[in-house]
Formats: sequence, C-alpha cells, structure tokens
Amino acid sequence: MREKATTLYFGPQHPGITGNMMIRLKVEGDTIVKATTEVGYLHRAFEKLQEKRNWLQSFTMMCRFCVPETDPMEELYARAVETIEGREVPERAKYIRVMVLELARLASFMLWYGGQNGSLGLYTMGQWSVGDRNYILDLFEELTGGRVYHMYIWPGGVRRDLPKGFEQKVIKTMDYLEKRLGDYDDLMFDNAIFKKRTQGVGIVDKDTAVEHGVVGAVLRGCGIKSDIRIDEPYEVYSKLDFEVPTSEGADIWARALVRRQEARQSIRIIRQVIDMMPGGAVYNKIPNPQKWKLPKGDAYVRVESVRGEVGLYAVSDGGTMPRRIHLRGAAYVHGITLLEDVLVGENIADVSAIMNSLGTCPPEIER
Amino acid sequence: MKEIKAKLIEKIGGSFENVSVKDHDSNRLDFHVDTNVIPQILTFLKVNMGYIHLSHISCVDWIEDGEFEIVYIVWSPTEKLKVFVRTRISREKPLLPNIDMIWRQANTYERELREMYGVEVDGLVADKEFLLEDWEGMPPMRRDFKTEEYAQNTFWSRDGREDAVDVREEIIKRSREEIPDFAKKYSR
Repeated sequence: MREKATTLYFGPQHPGITGNMMIRLKVEGDTIVKATTEVGYLHRAFEKLQEKRNWLQSFTMMCRFCVPETDPMEELYARAVETIEGREVPERAKYIRVMVLELARLASFMLWYGGQNGSLGLYTMGQWSVGDRNYILDLFEELTGGRVYHMYIWPGGVRRDLPKGFEQKVIKTMDYLEKRLGDYDDLMFDNAIFKKRTQGVGIVDKDTAVEHGVVGAVLRGCGIKSDIRIDEPYEVYSKLDFEVPTSEGADIWARALVRRQEARQSIRIIRQVIDMMPGGAVYNKIPNPQKWKLPKGDAYVRVESVRGEVGLYAVSDGGTMPRRIHLRGAAYVHGITLLEDVLVGENIADVSAIMNSLGTCPPEIER
Repeated sequence: MKEIKAKLIEKIGGSFENVSVKDHDSNRLDFHVDTNVIPQILTFLKVNMGYIHLSHISCVDWIEDGEFEIVYIVWSPTEKLKVFVRTRISREKPLLPNIDMIWRQANTYERELREMYGVEVDGLVADKEFLLEDWEGMPPMRRDFKTEEYAQNTFWSRDGREDAVDVREEIIKRSREEIPDFAKKYSR
C-alpha cells in the first residue's frame, strides 16, 4: 500500500535550522520525496546599498554578510580593492590577516561542532564548544574592539597593530583549544549515536560535487583535495606549512572527520604565523575616503572559509563608489540546488544535520 | 602560465568566432564573446579544457551604454587559471541562454538575475520568486531603481528620529542629572 504524501514546512523559524530559511518537504512517512527551498527572510540588499556608498563606507557592510565567520568577507573586500587599485599591503599586515582569518575559522568550527551535534540532539558539545569559542572572541575583542563584527581587515592593511603581549595570549588560547579538541573527539567521534546518525547520511559523491560546484569540506569529504589556500594562495599562505585533509565517505561523518582535522591545521597555521611575523607597518594609508577614486576595472578574489570557497566580484567605474559588489557564498551553492537534491530519500529527522554538514548559511545566500 | 594562456586562446579562437581576449598579469584571462555562444563556449571549457568549476556568475548594469554585462567565471583546478567569459546584452530586452544543464548551481544564479535585473533566461525552469515576495515594478538591482524613494514610500520613520533630540539633554530633563564637565564638550 502506498503511503499518502504530506507537505511539511521546515522553518523559517526552527531550532534545528541554520538561519531563517524554509524548506518545503514532501514526505511519505518519514522519508522525504521532494524538497524545495524558500529563501527571502534575510535579504538586506547589502549589495545595492554598497553601490550608494563610497569605497570605505561600503567596507563596513562586508562583515555582515555571514555572521558565524565575518573576517573572510572583510579580507575579500580589502583584497579586491587592493587588486583593482594596485595598492601594496605591508608584509606584517599580511601575517596578521592570516592569523585573524584562521582565528575566525576556528571560532566558526566551534559553532559547527555545537550545531552539528545539537542537530542530532547531542547538546553537551554545544555547551563546550560555544563556551570555548568565547576565548577566541575575547581575543578579537582585545584586538579589534568587537566580538563578532570586527571591521579590522580593511583596504591597505589592518586597522591597528597587535596590542602588547597579544601573541602570547593567542599561543595560550591555542594550547588550551588544542587540548580541548581531544576532549571533543572523545565526546563526538567515540559516540555511538553520532556514528549511527551520520554514517551513510547526506551523501554528496564526486560526480554530484562537480555538477553542483561544491566547495570546501563537502568537496574534501568526497575525496577531492581542493583548498583555495593551496590552489590560489593569497596573503602569505604560500609560505606556510599545512595539510589539506580529505576523507572518502562522502557522508556527514566524512565531512566531520575533515573538519576535525582542519581545526587542528588552523591552530598549526596560527602558531607558524606568530613565529614568522615580521615587524614594520601594518597599514598603507588610503587617501581621503570622500575623494578616494579607484581606477576603472574589476577583480574576482576568493578565500577559503569554513563553509568553503567564498568569492567576491568587485567592479569600479573609476568613481568614488563601487559600480558592483557581488558575493559568491559557499552556502549560495550548497544551500539551494545541492540541498534540494541531497534531501531526497533522507529521513525528516536528518534534515538539520544535513544542513549543518553542508554549511548552509542563509544570510550568505540572500545578502 | 603564459603557455597555458596561449594554448587556451588558440583553442577558443580556433573554435569560436567574434572572440576578443584580454590578458591580465595574474592567473586570469578574459574572453568577450557573443551571447548566443555562451552555452557552447562554457561546455567546451568544461568538457575539453578542464575548467570544471563554475565559480561565479555576475551581472553589471552599464546604464550609460544601455547594456548589461554578464560575467561567467570558471576555474581549472589543474591549470590554476581563472577564465572570465563576458558578454553584453541590451537593457531593453535582456535575454540570456540557460546554462543550468552544464552546472546545476547556475539555476540559482539565473533565478537571481531574472529577479534582480529582469534578465530573462531562455528555458529556465524554476520558481519565479527567489528572494523577493510579490515584487512588482522595476527589478531592484537596476541602476535606475530609486532606492531612497522606494524606502520612503514603503517604510516609515520611527518617532524621535526626525526631531534629532540631543540624548544628553533628554536625560537631564528626565532624570534631572547634571552632565559631568568632561561630557559637555560633546553636547550640541
């Protein structure tokens, strides 16, 4: 006997969803037969507003594109502007940028640890990792004045130099977090529930990945070694020694294994950067922002965030304001067409776990 | 990198007509092409040349020229080269060929193009609404869309904003507290 299909509305307000978006699920029993995403709850028209602001005012909006990881957006904007203008960035600023980017990655990994486990009803991890994330936010607060939105990496370098003794604080925090990552492993990867709920669930195989333009940990989770930091190195990544972990399973478990290793690699990079950081200036001053004109041209730059490749296309018409700013978020690709395809055949209870695993971030989709 | 670029220019130039090339110092190469060959050129790049990753599709409104510029950015993981395929279409009747059979995620980009710029995509199968709801009138990302006028007609101001009351003066009035000397200089 064929079961009757029912339509379920998952979101826009749902404790398991990764932001305000809705998925219309057609289900037969507990199995999803069709998924349709509906976005539009978080559209803030940033890109339109940026066209009405000068190049510096426009920068202040960048960090707001995606809340869990704000610094890659700032770095993208800064680098796009520098590419169009041909502005040099002091060497020390590049090292500081990498340190901040990796700290941001770590903070975002901590949120992922909490979200991924929370979506399966395992709430202890969220208490631990979000608590530990606060130690990174403390560092950001000391460095930039803000905990979540930093507006620190701006065109020409970074906004100010490191405070006195900051490097030692970072090292101490890294020592602590490295120890904690071991505890996380015990809690997460030795957990029978986590294993059972994630192995064989939310599969994105190699062919699907290429067809859908998948990036980041989702791509590495199906065995493809790809990382913007290696493929198209920016800032000082080419001088650093780190590994790009991959896994073959192509399911939530495989992607979790990849992210587990990546968090450790971020700590490794931060330690190297602090060791190698040269002295000198951190900012190549821009002219009066009200009169600051960029030459006519365009640039497309990319950065490796926790969710994967994030790109920014910036166009200048030779004036004081951008002609076009267009962000390409990893979630833009993962959160609509890929999610709709992956959810078919899965269980209703796994929807939020799959969304977390794919790095769906609605504010990045809608901008 | 030079050899890779030269090889690609030769292959594209040999297979397609009306292609102009712009080289950049970095790992970037731009092709300006006719709109109708977009699906063929992107398929050629993906299948024959290894540019398997569609990184971005963007649209720029050149209102002074009466045209939209559509930019497809593809990436080859083996050649480490970014290729920009650019085309211009009229602002009056903007029509693009569909490419979501080449890369599935292009469907999302094309939906956004249709909604935000009013660019029609030939053969696109997707819900009409994407980010906006019950939107009527000019697509909002066009340069001639009047943002401020729209905001004034759609939203309203909260009380207390237009009159620009000095916060400190209000505090004194309500609490009868004195402003400390150091804060006075900021007062209007």
